[in-house]
Amino acid sequence: MRQAIAAAMAHAKREIPHYYLSQDVDLTPASDWLAQRNAELPPERRLLMGVLFIKAVALTLKGFPELNGFDREGRFEPSAAIHVGCATAIRGGGLVAPAIHDTDHLDLDTLMAKLRDLVARVRSGGLRASELADPTITVSSLGERGVDRLYGIIYPPQVAIVGFGTPRPAPWVLEDRVVPRQVVTVTLAADHRHSDGHRGALFLAQVAQRLHEPENL
Amino acid sequence: MSTAMTKDQILAATLDELTNVAPDLADETIPPDADLREVFDLDSMDFLNWFTALHRRLGVDIPELDYPKLRSMDDVATYLAARLGGL
Repeated sequence: MRQAIAAAMAHAKREIPHYYLSQDVDLTPASDWLAQRNAELPPERRLLMGVLFIKAVALTLKGFPELNGFDREGRFEPSAAIHVGCATAIRGGGLVAPAIHDTDHLDLDTLMAKLRDLVARVRSGGLRASELADPTITVSSLGERGVDRLYGIIYPPQVAIVGFGTPRPAPWVLEDRVVPRQVVTVTLAADHRHSDGHRGALFLAQVAQRLHEPENL
Repeated sequence: MSTAMTKDQILAATLDELTNVAPDLADETIPPDADLREVFDLDSMDFLNWFTALHRRLGVDIPELDYPKLRSMDDVATYLAARLGGL
């Protein structure tokens, strides 16, 4: 496991000209919406915030084909399907990022069920090789681990990775006043051979916009 | 629900369900007062799956608002005992 990660990450850092962008997002609308929704449901039907993150990324990717696909020896091969790889830590060390297939087509409940299933199989060691091989982009979310932001390393042959830090209460300027809001920092690391920072910034802005309207996810 | 589960029985059920949702912890010795997030690296998905299993097994629905105060097996067993006792 360690050696496989080492080989892939060393290759990525050596060969891929990463650029990095970061944006703070007011997560209060999504947090409130989620808390209200979960309060009315039994545990088996509750959602985690990570599911909203994954769906927001998947929907936004439809307008940014240059971030969704594969590098083939320097040439970009876009993917018509959006298979988000969900980085999942393995207790005791290492991580895997198996794909949730056609992420953009799944409603939140289905996405949550698939994520539950993936995590369960990461824990028990029952992943299929195809799930590990075919993500078209990766989303890494450090959940409640306490870091504000993470700068990912692209997993070859993918061309982008989106990172979510830990949502936190933070001062925020709203209508000329400083108010406490729930804030998450979203980052993008992307392959500069296939996209540029301007498009990357638009991508992050649209992810933020989608998180402002959680009822549409 | 059987009428009177003892605290020890509840604790045993919480451990049982914990190792079901986190089979990679099955070989660990988990002290009842250990902070599961800090010491055993349980994440939000593990907690949710654990509370889902306990809901199915014991019929106690733990609302999300109570999650933050439930950090160890003892916390959860004490919470469940109080809720079961109040039925």
